[in-house]
Amino acid sequence: MKQVPLFIVLLLFCVMNLTPVAWGFLTSIRQPVDAFAVPPKLIFEPTFRFHWEIWVDKGFWRFLINTAIVSIFAVTISVSIGSMAAYALSRLRSRAASGLLFSLLAMRMFPHILLAIPFFVIAQAVNLIDSYPAMIIAIVALNQPFTIWLMRSFLAEVPSELYDSAVMDGCTPWQTFRRVALPIVKPGLWVTVLFSLLLAYNEFLLALVLTRTNTKTLPVAIAEYGAEDITYWSLSAAAAIGIMLPILIFMLFMQRHLVRGMAAGAVKG
Amino acid sequence: MASVTIRDVEKSYSEHAVMHGVNIDIEDGEFVILVGPSGCGKSTLLRMIAGLEDITGGDILIGDTVVNDIEPKARNIAMVFQNYALYPHMTVRENMAFALTLNRTDKAEIARRVARAAEILSLGAFLDRYPKQLSGGQRQRVAMGRAIVRDPQVFLFDEPLSNLDAKLRVQMRTEIKELHQRLKTTTIYVTHDQIEAMTMADRIVVMNDGRIEQIGTPLQLYDTPANLFVAGFIGSPGMNFIEGEIENGWFLTADGIALPTPPGAAAGKVVYGIRPEHLVPDPAGVPVDVTVVEPTGPETDVFGKLGRQPIVAAMREGPPVAAGEKLRLTARVERVHLFDAATGRRLPTGIPGQAA
Repeated sequence: MKQVPLFIVLLLFCVMNLTPVAWGFLTSIRQPVDAFAVPPKLIFEPTFRFHWEIWVDKGFWRFLINTAIVSIFAVTISVSIGSMAAYALSRLRSRAASGLLFSLLAMRMFPHILLAIPFFVIAQAVNLIDSYPAMIIAIVALNQPFTIWLMRSFLAEVPSELYDSAVMDGCTPWQTFRRVALPIVKPGLWVTVLFSLLLAYNEFLLALVLTRTNTKTLPVAIAEYGAEDITYWSLSAAAAIGIMLPILIFMLFMQRHLVRGMAAGAVKG
Repeated sequence: MASVTIRDVEKSYSEHAVMHGVNIDIEDGEFVILVGPSGCGKSTLLRMIAGLEDITGGDILIGDTVVNDIEPKARNIAMVFQNYALYPHMTVRENMAFALTLNRTDKAEIARRVARAAEILSLGAFLDRYPKQLSGGQRQRVAMGRAIVRDPQVFLFDEPLSNLDAKLRVQMRTEIKELHQRLKTTTIYVTHDQIEAMTMADRIVVMNDGRIEQIGTPLQLYDTPANLFVAGFIGSPGMNFIEGEIENGWFLTADGIALPTPPGAAAGKVVYGIRPEHLVPDPAGVPVDVTVVEPTGPETDVFGKLGRQPIVAAMREGPPVAAGEKLRLTARVERVHLFDAATGRRLPTGIPGQAA
C-alpha cells in the first residue's frame, strides 16, 4: 500500500510523456481538417495514407537510410574511442588525467550552435559539405566527451584487484582491456551505445548545417514538412511516429542489458 | 618450485620511504607468512615479489634469477587475492583456465590441469557456474584453483581469508595448509591475523613500519620474542607488559608489587613480560583486582589491575572468579620475558633454552 503514491506519480509521469506521442499518432491517422478541428473530433475515419505517402511517395526511406548510416558509424567510432580513452583515464591516477577529464566536460558544455558554425566552415574548406564523413566526424566530436565520461564511470567500478589478477595471469594491457575490463562493463557499454545512438539519431542542428540533398537526415527532412500549411502536419506526424519505431525496437532488445547489475561476484557483497 | 631471496629491498613513493632494507631467505617448499599491523608494508612486499609494484632498491630472486625487471607473467608465480578477484563474466572453468588460455597452452592440457585442480579443491560440481553463484568459501577455492592450474614455482597469498566468516576461515586455514603439504610449493602468505600466522606457517616474518622485527618459527616467536613489538603482536590475548625495575633479583613495580624474575636478570629499568597463560593462581601470589571475566570455553580470560597497571590472565582451571573479586596470581618464572625499557629489546635471562 505504501507504493500507491509512488505509483500515482509514475502514472502521471507516463501520461505526461505519452500524451504527445498519442497526439502525434492520432494526428498521423487523421485528415488535417479533422486533426485540427475545434472542438476535437473524437470520431473519424482512421487512415494510414499519410504514412504511406511520407515514407514511400515522398521517399523518406532515403533519409532514414542516411540517418542510419550516420548513426551507426558515429556510434561505433565514438563508443570504441570512448571506451579505450575511458579505460585509460579510469586507471591513470595522475593530475593530467583528471585535467583531461574536466576539459572534456567543459567541451561538452559548449552550445551546439557555437560548434555548428566552425564545423560548417571547416567542412566547406575541406569540401565535405553534404557528405557522410562530415556528419559522422561532427557527431563523434560532439558525443566523445559524453561517451568517455559515461564509460569511465562504469570502468571506475571495476575492482583494481581484477586488473592485478589479469596482469598475473599474463594479460597484455590490450588483453586486460579487451578480455577483462570490457566484458565486465558490458551492460554499461550498451547504455553508452544507446545514449550515443539517441544523440546521433536525433541530431538536428548539425544535420541542418552540414547536409544538403544527398545526406539529409530524418529530423531535418521532417522539419521541412512542418510549415504553416496545416495540410503538411499529418505527414510530418506520420514521419515522427515512424522515426520513433527503430529506437523503440532497439530499446526492447536492449532492456535485458540495461537493467543487469555490474561486476556482481567480482568482489564480496 | 624455487627459493625466494629478498635482499636489501627498499620501496619509496616519490620521496617517502615505506620499506627500509628488508632481507628474507625463503627456502624451496617453505610456507612463510608475513604478518604485521596494517600499513607495515607486508602487502607491498608481496606485490613487489609478484611484480605488481616496482622495487626501489635491492634485489628479489626467485630461484637464482633476479626478477626485479622481469614482468609478472614471466616470474612463474601465482597469486590469490583478498577479494578473490575472480572474473565475473567467466565460469569457474574459464577463470581457472584463463592464464593457460592466454599463453596458448594445448586444450587437452588445459582440461587436464583444470580437472586436477578441481579435484584437489572439490570444485568439480561448480565448473560451469559463475562466481556470483558461489559462496565465499567456494570463491576462495576457485581463486586457489586458478593458482594451482598454473603449477607455479611460488604461491603468493594476500590476506586470502579476511573476507570469510570466522568458522569458514578456520576451515580454509586447514585446507590451505593441507594444500601446501600436498603440493609442497613455496608459499608466501600475507595476513594481519597472528593466529593464522601461528597455525599455518613454517616460519613467520613479523613486520612493522617497513622493517622486519623478527623472523622465526611460530614457537620461536612465541617463546623468545626479540622485542616488545613481537611479544605484543604474537599471542592472544597479548602478553602483559608491566613496567618497573629489577632490584636484588626481584621485579618491583612503582606500586611496590614484587614479582619473581628469572636468574641472571641484571638490575635496572625493565618491562616485565608475562603471557596471560603463564600466570597461575597462587595463594602467596600478587593481588589482582578483577574487573572483567571473559570465558572462551577452553579457558577464561580474567582482566584486572595489578596495582595501577592492567593485567590479563588466562585461567585453564581453578575456582571461578567474578568481577570485583580479588585474585592472587603468580608468574611462572621460567616463562618470564624481560625487555629493556628504553630500547624494547629482549634482555638475556639465565633460563636454559631461551636465547637472548
